[in-house]
Amino acid sequence: MDLFKNIGEIISKYYIWLLEGVGYTLLVSLISTIIGLIIGILIGIYRTLPAPKNKFLRVLKKIGDVILSVYIEVFRGTPMMVQAMVIFWGFALLNDGKTLNVIFSGMLIVSINTGAYMAEIVRGGIISVDKGQTEGAAAIGMTHFQTMMRVVLPQALRNIMPSVANEFVINIKDTSVLNVIGFTELFFQAKSIVSSNLLTFETYLLVAAIYFVLTFTITRILRLIEKKMDGDKNYVVLGSQNMDANAYAREKNIGGGKQNG
Amino acid sequence: MDKNTIIEVRHLQKFFGTNKVLNDINFSVNRGDVTCIIGSSGSGKSTLLRCINLFEQPTAGEIFVHGINIVNTKKPNEYRKKVGMVFQSFNLFNNMNVLKNCTIGPRTVLKVSKQEAEARAKKYLAMVGMAEYVNARPAQLSGGQKQRVAIARALAMEPEVLLFDEPTSALDPEMVGEVLSVMTSLAQKGLTMVVVTHEMGFARDIATKVVFMDAGIIEEEGTPQQIFTNPQKQRTREFLSRVL
Repeated sequence: MDLFKNIGEIISKYYIWLLEGVGYTLLVSLISTIIGLIIGILIGIYRTLPAPKNKFLRVLKKIGDVILSVYIEVFRGTPMMVQAMVIFWGFALLNDGKTLNVIFSGMLIVSINTGAYMAEIVRGGIISVDKGQTEGAAAIGMTHFQTMMRVVLPQALRNIMPSVANEFVINIKDTSVLNVIGFTELFFQAKSIVSSNLLTFETYLLVAAIYFVLTFTITRILRLIEKKMDGDKNYVVLGSQNMDANAYAREKNIGGGKQNG
Repeated sequence: MDKNTIIEVRHLQKFFGTNKVLNDINFSVNRGDVTCIIGSSGSGKSTLLRCINLFEQPTAGEIFVHGINIVNTKKPNEYRKKVGMVFQSFNLFNNMNVLKNCTIGPRTVLKVSKQEAEARAKKYLAMVGMAEYVNARPAQLSGGQKQRVAIARALAMEPEVLLFDEPTSALDPEMVGEVLSVMTSLAQKGLTMVVVTHEMGFARDIATKVVFMDAGIIEEEGTPQQIFTNPQKQRTREFLSRVL
């Protein structure tokens, strides 16, 4: 059949281009997801700081809150493709036509964009951690910062893992808009291939399959990482392989006592 | 002030909005006291306990700790090193195993060495009968086991006073006994405790002082003997006749 023959030919002729595209797509989406997550965590920590008692600091924090809200709303409220054009050409305009490195621009744009979404995801994650956890930490004298780092954030991050994985998958697909600034990711490579071989349908079908394999594999890998984060379902009771009769008796002995009330 | 006095609460008031929850509370905790605070729901028992720990900021009044008023302290966490708390809902750290739950306080707050923190944790876990479960995570434990670990976590800080906020109220009846027996042994070891509880048997048998609260005030206080066998106030008698 012609379709498979053509696709086979595209692969054998352009596999270097395709691999380069896959490489850049993965690179920019992975790094941007991580940087976006870091932005999100920093904003999340900032937003959950207790209100300062000092009046000047309180006003300063309010101003910071407003700036962050503007950032989040603007980047969530406009298409990434437009953001890419505005930032890339905006930089060129301010620097006498000298454009920013395309790979750097790509990562910058996707990171900032992801950060805006991550900020909300992290905030949700922090809110989802039971208030009792914070009180438990406060009761043993931990400071707000210690509580955040040791107790709240680890749990929040575990809780938001599915959303972070989702952002990663979205980024793999959405980096395709970076073709407008000439970033040689997978979609840009597909356009280039089509312009030389004119096999539009076959080329894009192949590229769709590649995108799907990427996202599907990564979803599975992240699922495995989540499982790993949850730790072993079983635990070892010291001094016995299982709850043997002795351990049970010891338990009873300790736990017995007089029933009051 | 008696040098055995650890905490002294004077004229404490607490409002939530316009709702007066605590009204002119005066009471003190001496070294070795086991004080049980009893009373109906909504009488302000838990709020009083949370004020002592500065989880709630008192609206008015003073709390003296070794003679120093700590109500407006800038660093409540410094004060809480010495005043532990055990919660109704345990509040164990879900992201840590049993051992880590008990070492994190000494490690991060008291800055003791890892070996020292683990030795402490194991000592107090043994005291509450949970030494064998160091590797378990909170989600893998029963309610009674969780509460015993929570007590060990608080003890690992070696506090001067341990506050208990209805420590058995979230437990199945069969698990209440195991937690109460741990608390009993702590009381016998001379730990200073303030216990908000509905367990009248515990209050009667173990407490050195019983405080009956009603509608935001301390209605009556005295030895368990005085409160349970010879209550002076009408409200105390009514309450006791309902719960005993």
